[in-house]
Amino acid sequence: MFRKLLIACLTLTLLLTACGSALPTPQPTSIPTQIPPTAAATAAAAPTTAIAPIVLTDGLGREVTLASPAQRVVSLAPSNTEILFAVGAGAQVVGRDEFSDYPEEAKSVASIGGSMGQYSLEAITALGPDLVLASGLNSPELVKSLEDLGLTVFYLPNPTTLEEMYANLLTVAQLTGHETQAVTLIESLKARVAAVDQKVAPLSSRPSVFYELDSTDPGKPYTAGPGTFVTLLIERAGGFNVGANLDSAWAPISLEQLVVYNPDMIILGDSLFGTTPESVKGRPGWQALQAVQQDRIYPFDDNLVSRPGPRLVDGLEQLAKLLHPDAFK
Amino acid sequence: MRRPYLWTLLFLALAVLLSLAIGSVWIPPQDLWGILKGALLKRLPAQLETFAFIVWKIRLPRTLLIALTGAALGGSGTAYQGLFRNPLADPYLIGVASGAGLGAVIAMSIKWPYSFWGLMAIPLAAFVAALLTVLIVYALARVGNSVPTTNLILAGVAFSSFATSLTSFLMLRSTGEVRRALGWLLGGASQSGWLAVLSLLPYLILGLGILVFSGHALNLLQFGDEQAQQMGLNVSRAKSIVLLAASLATAAAVAFSGIIGFIGLIVPHILRLWWGADYRRLLPLSILGGAGALLVMDVFARVVLAPQEIPVGIVTALTGAPFFLWVLRRAKNQGYW
Repeated sequence: MFRKLLIACLTLTLLLTACGSALPTPQPTSIPTQIPPTAAATAAAAPTTAIAPIVLTDGLGREVTLASPAQRVVSLAPSNTEILFAVGAGAQVVGRDEFSDYPEEAKSVASIGGSMGQYSLEAITALGPDLVLASGLNSPELVKSLEDLGLTVFYLPNPTTLEEMYANLLTVAQLTGHETQAVTLIESLKARVAAVDQKVAPLSSRPSVFYELDSTDPGKPYTAGPGTFVTLLIERAGGFNVGANLDSAWAPISLEQLVVYNPDMIILGDSLFGTTPESVKGRPGWQALQAVQQDRIYPFDDNLVSRPGPRLVDGLEQLAKLLHPDAFK
Repeated sequence: MRRPYLWTLLFLALAVLLSLAIGSVWIPPQDLWGILKGALLKRLPAQLETFAFIVWKIRLPRTLLIALTGAALGGSGTAYQGLFRNPLADPYLIGVASGAGLGAVIAMSIKWPYSFWGLMAIPLAAFVAALLTVLIVYALARVGNSVPTTNLILAGVAFSSFATSLTSFLMLRSTGEVRRALGWLLGGASQSGWLAVLSLLPYLILGLGILVFSGHALNLLQFGDEQAQQMGLNVSRAKSIVLLAASLATAAAVAFSGIIGFIGLIVPHILRLWWGADYRRLLPLSILGGAGALLVMDVFARVVLAPQEIPVGIVTALTGAPFFLWVLRRAKNQGYW
């Protein structure tokens, strides 16, 4: 009886699979966008000189085409939101992920979710965006679903150097029609980085730094390793990240290993979560570190180094000040 | 309560309606009515187009995927409990979830091109690894021609913890993809669309189709292997077929919806309490009830923190864990099993 059943089921399955592949793939339907009066006004005010369509290749190797600069943008990552506002496209942002909290104006933009990797496709669709700006935080599956819904998605690649970050600024500016502003912005960012370079170059000391990301287990706190902006910026600011010795980008480091490295200072990237220099001093075993004995523990705004946008340069300047207080008065 | 099929179908229909009506974007009931009417009359007022798009293009495929997943988990949960004669068995007992998790994380550690097969790599790897795990456990537990239940459970648990720790290790080593892995492991079907529904369907029809007709065999198995054999059942073959059918359905569901716990435990128990332990009836009821229950929980997952959505696996575990404990207590006190 089982065999007969098995054959019947198999046949049915085969039939259905065959039907499934024969079915036409759902065509992306264009989404009706009802542009509210305010957004329409902004759109009219924006420069509309570009007649040729904008064609750019994104971080997933997809060719993305916009007929004209995007006027209703949904940002899927805090770094993207910061870039959009920095290049002057803030007024064109109609939606942002839950964690986008900078600049202040971004908070009043409608949220489309994003905690635990769950974005609301419904909320994004309801906003009727002409561009969804994804980032390295977002999965290719999310990009695909948005694309299947007929939305234009641009996946901004995750930069690993300042140059790549500048390139991202320019890309976002091209997509939103703010190239001139972006060029000026990049010039000024480069000038600020050059100023730091100039002050750091003659210094002979290179303090070693332990950058703490998470201390849920004080016996093995998480730190940033090689290939991260934390390491890159600490080095650029005239220091050395002891986490650079690890073999992955984000990893726990044991207290024993930390005692061996004995960094000159501890920077608390987890101060946003309530870690303070006092709480570090109170941890069992941490008295063995010279940074703790000499009270060289500093709270730090991790958003300046974890969000690959223009504020990386703010992060560089603040790190340089912490590492070389005398040179950066 | 009489008429189990009527009530279960009614519940499922209500759950489908709820799932279409409620989401992170609020659609007023009169507009929803307008959309349904528009679909029937093929004429839609222009101001409802965005809402209609949301209902048909986002909510409908998601509703179907969730319903299919719930059906798979409910059906195979019942089958596993009957097969192992253990009220605490769930579809993941012998390693489907941990195997799928390992497969998915291995696939995630590779950088795939943005293409159809690149996007299918993760669900495919999860599906294959889940089935491989079941087959390995089955082979390990086999003694001669029979597969003792205790052996299966022990081999399953041991192999599961091995696979789970390997998964954690890989996640620790991987850079950047941990968020993706975590989202997947917690169970989130929000980003799938029609492709997932169509890919899932054949395996579910095969797996659940076999289960629906295994009720009689499972009833006999409740008397114990020897008794069942004397009553004319080819015990080892029946057990293998039920086990593989249930695992096939679960593996497919896990591959596309992630790991969603406790549905396979809660649904069969509630239905058994209400309508008795006759597997010929319990199996189809659990399939329908599983679909309805997971849909209701998914609605919760969508609205609790709207516009944020929480992975549905969290909702099922939150409601399921206390239920699990209650079943545990009850089984000890009365043994209604």
